[in-house]
Amino acid sequence: MRVEYINPFVEAAFNVLKEVLNSDVKRGELYLKSTTMPVLGVAALVGLAGDVEGRVLFDMSKATALAVASTMNGEDITTMDELAKATITELANMITAQAVTKLHDLGFKFDLTPPALFTGDNMEVSDHEVEALIVPMEIPQGKVEINVAIRERA
Amino acid sequence: MKTKEDFPSINAREPDGKKPDGSSYRILVVDDSMFVAKQIGQILTSEGYDIIGTAADGEQGVEKYKELHPNVDLVTMDITMPRMDGITALEHIMTFDKEAKVIMISALGKQDLVKKSLLLGAKNYIVKPLDRKKVLERIHQVLSK
Amino acid sequence: MTANGERMTESEVLEHRKERAEAVDYKMVTFSLAGKDYGVDIMNVKEIAKAGKFTFVPNAATFLRGVYNLRGEIIPVIDLRVFFHLPAEKKEEDALENTLILRIGEQVLGVIVDNIDKVVGITSSSIQPPHPIFGDINIKYIRGVVENQGRLYIILDAIRIFSPKEEEKHTITESPAVSFAAPEVITQAVSSPERQSAASSDLGFIKETLSAFRKFSATEFNDEWVSARFEEWKAQKKGKDLQLKDAEDADAYLAGFFSPFSGAFWSDEYANAVFAILPDLPSKNINVWNPGCGKGHETYSFACILRNRYPEAHLKIWANDADLLSISTAPNMVFDLEDVPEFCREYMVKGRNGYGFNQTIRDSVVFEYHDVLNANPYPELDIILARDLISFLTPGDQSRVFADFSDKLKRQGVLFLGRNEKPPLSDEWKPIGNELVSAYARAE
Repeated sequence: MRVEYINPFVEAAFNVLKEVLNSDVKRGELYLKSTTMPVLGVAALVGLAGDVEGRVLFDMSKATALAVASTMNGEDITTMDELAKATITELANMITAQAVTKLHDLGFKFDLTPPALFTGDNMEVSDHEVEALIVPMEIPQGKVEINVAIRERA
Repeated sequence: MKTKEDFPSINAREPDGKKPDGSSYRILVVDDSMFVAKQIGQILTSEGYDIIGTAADGEQGVEKYKELHPNVDLVTMDITMPRMDGITALEHIMTFDKEAKVIMISALGKQDLVKKSLLLGAKNYIVKPLDRKKVLERIHQVLSK
Repeated sequence: MTANGERMTESEVLEHRKERAEAVDYKMVTFSLAGKDYGVDIMNVKEIAKAGKFTFVPNAATFLRGVYNLRGEIIPVIDLRVFFHLPAEKKEEDALENTLILRIGEQVLGVIVDNIDKVVGITSSSIQPPHPIFGDINIKYIRGVVENQGRLYIILDAIRIFSPKEEEKHTITESPAVSFAAPEVITQAVSSPERQSAASSDLGFIKETLSAFRKFSATEFNDEWVSARFEEWKAQKKGKDLQLKDAEDADAYLAGFFSPFSGAFWSDEYANAVFAILPDLPSKNINVWNPGCGKGHETYSFACILRNRYPEAHLKIWANDADLLSISTAPNMVFDLEDVPEFCREYMVKGRNGYGFNQTIRDSVVFEYHDVLNANPYPELDIILARDLISFLTPGDQSRVFADFSDKLKRQGVLFLGRNEKPPLSDEWKPIGNELVSAYARAE
């Protein structure tokens, strides 16, 4: 992944999570992964368009998703209902949008598409051989893996 | 023993959402996220505003505005939405009613979007994540003009 | 010191030296457990690691610390101290343990020890049979004991320790549950076939150490150099103490391997040599892939040369490295003008913090954080610049990556390798470089 794209995503993830969860956020070491299948259970996907094509995937366990939704809504959420799903997709949207905004300032014209949420039951990810940058984030509610796969448009 | 409620609060003031005549300002919330709509709703209701309608995409937003007009005091408008995005919806509403008060609320903060919205007639632009204080201040600002 | 602990006389010293001059045909990685020194055949050692974050496996034997993710491969990890009922220092949850990664047949596993020391070469004839008095551990696990430079090493029989029957017997006394898939029982075949002559086994051992310490795989891509270097090394060391004992030794051996100006700007002379080798290319668009570019010095150098060589063409260079720290600094590098070679100077512009490359050069290079082992989206390439990259991949990966190079390079493309690297099949490739520059094109 192009070097200039990395920091905006890392910073956006850190800033938004910190602000929205109002707690300490720790970033793990970045690394590259070969396939793009999500692993933890709940995945929010935001598409990228413009100068590049690709997507950002937010991967977390169901327990983490519920805990995050609870914190963001200020109430106890125990099932992945419409509100919980909307909350997680909005989180994905905010992080991606902040990264896209930063990238725009750097001269890279990205656009994002409305997010989608996948849960363990309807997980259908095509195994296209793409390399992804993984940004692991540690929050009190658990672990969130941000998985970014971007390709320059030819 | 006297409790807190027995003392008049020092900073007693009317909630922002109430007009001088006692009725509430009427707000239309346009956002495709149930979570955001709920969040904005909670912030505004707690301050006395009245949410008179919500719409989940730009097209619905424009329709609702035309239906409810002239009983809409302010519109909050998301940008990234399916079917019709917020900028296009803004354009339509401003064409329909040039006095319309629309505030953009979006996760995107790109300079060109901000400029475009303001040029088209939006009164302000708020970037998510939402800060309760900031939202209330800006809305109050726009409504007081 | 003799085995009795007395000081040696001169004749004893000479005697001792003569012993050591006898062929080293057994190399072991030494480590300590509860204060005693142990060794294990280096042929069984895949690598050395400091590892932490083992995933606990419930219902497993007590000596099974858990499983570990070794670059994508999940391997079981045994705490050897627990296995042998030895006292072990209790470390914190996340603390890193000294771990030997062993390969026994098909099975790869991790083994936690107190401290890993170094690689010791000995003559197998000097290994004494085990005597119960030497060990705290069951004698059946000991291959023998050997003395080296005043220290006594207990050589473990790794195959016996980790073979299925042994494990079951061991576990039954511990806990009822069975742990993980046990390794196959291996016979003599595990020993390297290169035990014939002392010289070839010496070189074999050196290659093993280079792989373990510096991830350098000696294969057809670089064997010419490795062998030539071995002769040099022997002469340098006057035939004694040939073995590489640690990372420092490995670095000393590899010192002459690297291409000129690694990690630095190319000199004007080198740049001219490269310029002279570059053929005419028919395409208007020249696509270049530069994997393993490090901090970007070679990329920038190459970009300037290409600009000069193909002034009309539209250049696109994809430069990548899997070292995030190095590649992150590449796009925005600034320099003092005097540190920049002549041939690059016309492409520099003065900025706030120093001189940087101008927009033309910067627009032609895309620096990416990318692992060459993963899929890449590049189109057909005119030039591949991969200096000293292939040699530091495992043999399997070397073939795979080189096949990818071959696939992606256009018919008339040029391949640049490290100074001491060359492609495997010589009928497919013909050298077009010289002493300094290792370059190849397809043979007609």
